[in-house]
Amino acid sequence: MSEGGSGTVGEFIQGEEEPSSSWVVLAFGLVTSLALLVLHGILYPGRDLPVISEILPMFDGVFDSGIWFFILGVMGGVFAIIATMLTEATSE
Amino acid sequence: MGDVLTSLILFWGLMLLTYFLMQNGLSIFNDVTKAMSHFMLEKALGPGIDLVEGRDGSASKAWFIQGMLWLIAASTLVFEGLWLKQDPTALHSLSAWGYDPTANSLIYASNYAALYGGIGMLLIGSSLHIMPRLAGTKLASERNATLVSFLWTLSVLVLVVAAHDSEILGVNIFLIGTGMHVLGFIAIVINLLLTISERQSALPIPGWLIILGMLADPISTVATIITGSIQTGAGQWLLAHMIGGTFFFATTAGVALYASSSASGNPLWSRSLGAATLVGALATINPIGDSNGMMAADMLGITFQQFQPSSLDSIVIAFLMALAMIPIMALAANIMMTLRGGDAFIENSDSAGITEMNLGASMLLPLAAASLFVQSDALAAAPELSGMAPTLLLMGIWLVLVPISLGAALHLFPAVTGRNLLSRNRARWAYWMMGGGALLGLTVSMMSDLIDMALIEAAVDDSSALAADVQAVGAILFYGAAVGAIMHTLNAVSGLFRGARVNTDRATSSSITTEAYSLASPTSVRKILAGGASLDTTVVPVGESDDAGSATEL
Repeated sequence: MSEGGSGTVGEFIQGEEEPSSSWVVLAFGLVTSLALLVLHGILYPGRDLPVISEILPMFDGVFDSGIWFFILGVMGGVFAIIATMLTEATSE
Repeated sequence: MGDVLTSLILFWGLMLLTYFLMQNGLSIFNDVTKAMSHFMLEKALGPGIDLVEGRDGSASKAWFIQGMLWLIAASTLVFEGLWLKQDPTALHSLSAWGYDPTANSLIYASNYAALYGGIGMLLIGSSLHIMPRLAGTKLASERNATLVSFLWTLSVLVLVVAAHDSEILGVNIFLIGTGMHVLGFIAIVINLLLTISERQSALPIPGWLIILGMLADPISTVATIITGSIQTGAGQWLLAHMIGGTFFFATTAGVALYASSSASGNPLWSRSLGAATLVGALATINPIGDSNGMMAADMLGITFQQFQPSSLDSIVIAFLMALAMIPIMALAANIMMTLRGGDAFIENSDSAGITEMNLGASMLLPLAAASLFVQSDALAAAPELSGMAPTLLLMGIWLVLVPISLGAALHLFPAVTGRNLLSRNRARWAYWMMGGGALLGLTVSMMSDLIDMALIEAAVDDSSALAADVQAVGAILFYGAAVGAIMHTLNAVSGLFRGARVNTDRATSSSITTEAYSLASPTSVRKILAGGASLDTTVVPVGESDDAGSATEL
């Protein structure tokens, strides 16, 4: 590269558009984390990981199983689909 | 003569009669029947038919999107069912709302959601696109097919509720769900029959697979009812497997053969194998399915009977199940060879569905062989492999039928909607999540089943602990299928609005442009293709020189 080249070299650049697959990485990471957390519970059976109702006492007696982490994930996905439908249908 | 053979002979006779009538028509009643059917499909519905649009592809689009949504529900139900196998009280908090699911009820409900909601809707959506093209005409009633998709969804919803609790306020709601299902099914079959009655040329093999697969569903039901075998365990088992081998297997085969050819650009590899698949699907008993006929009995509102076939029935079943490997092998080979073409396997990077169909075709034969062993074992007086039958059924659904039907739908999506899926990358990710989650999750679940069976056989007091730990891992791995289903659906829904139009070029993620590939040194075609070039890429030779290099001047 010549000295009179682009002045952007060495500067921080942030794109305007989000790659479509970026949130996939987040979802994959989340699922992997949850899987490893449950694996922890299997490897150390005497030390169960906290469930939602232990973290948020207002949900005591409701979200008192690890399955709710996953069900809430699916609900989040379904709401994302509904939100996409609504926003796409109403956008100009 | 046994129940099974009697029902099969009647079924074969009715199918031959149907084929004859489809080829030769109804003589002087032809015009009257057609006119009346057209009237029933549209005008007889009054203002209701105006609720939906009748543009080309609108019916397939409605069936595709609803089918994908059902896959999310089905995968979630399977995940919950697998989880509850090791933690039965995980969802006890829902009992406050009157919902008290068990592992069995959740997996049973998931079978309805996956088979009739996901797979059924995707197959019918594909068929509504494929049949008019094979017949060289237009769909008889686009609006009716669109409207019926909502009726079908409602029927699946009722069946899923009924799978948890079949009686509500003293009414068997299975019958309500079945009634709506039959109504929708009849409308779709009439629509397709009217479409192919206007065909401009002979119907190719995939078309026959689709239409005969659909017609065989009600015909097999009628055959078992007329012979009275539906009241026996063997008859109920037979009906479940006849519907599995015709509506699900034959229709899937027709859709897959069409899609594999149109996605890869290769002609159908073998017409003979296609014909063998068609005849074999109708003449044999497909082993993939449950080891009892509970679904058939429940949907018809009759008392479920245990599967205890007579010796003659056992011989007929064993013989016809073994013969079923012929159409299964023929289909798997035909799909894979058509996708591959005459050369090394070349993926069409424009089609997200090819990888899904390839997965389904690859898993077809091993799962059919495994199912054959389990179903043959079920014929014995004391079955030993029944513990793994439910998981094997889930594998058949999620590793064969779902990938093939979803793959075909993903491939046909641009042709149906006029837009591509939003992101090819997201489709690829979704494939890995869904396929990997289902394969690993159900394999681990089957390991849990085997542990359970072995410990019970060894008379271990507390046999549940070890199997439960393994089952937990299986459930979590299967969660990937739910995430994959959500990603596929989101990709399709976004594609409906923002996907690149079919007639415009799309940006590629490869560093090599699709238009030109600069060939600097001798290399193999495989390496060029692996580098991202497609069949339409122009290979441009670049001159070589042995001169010493120097800095590039900018």
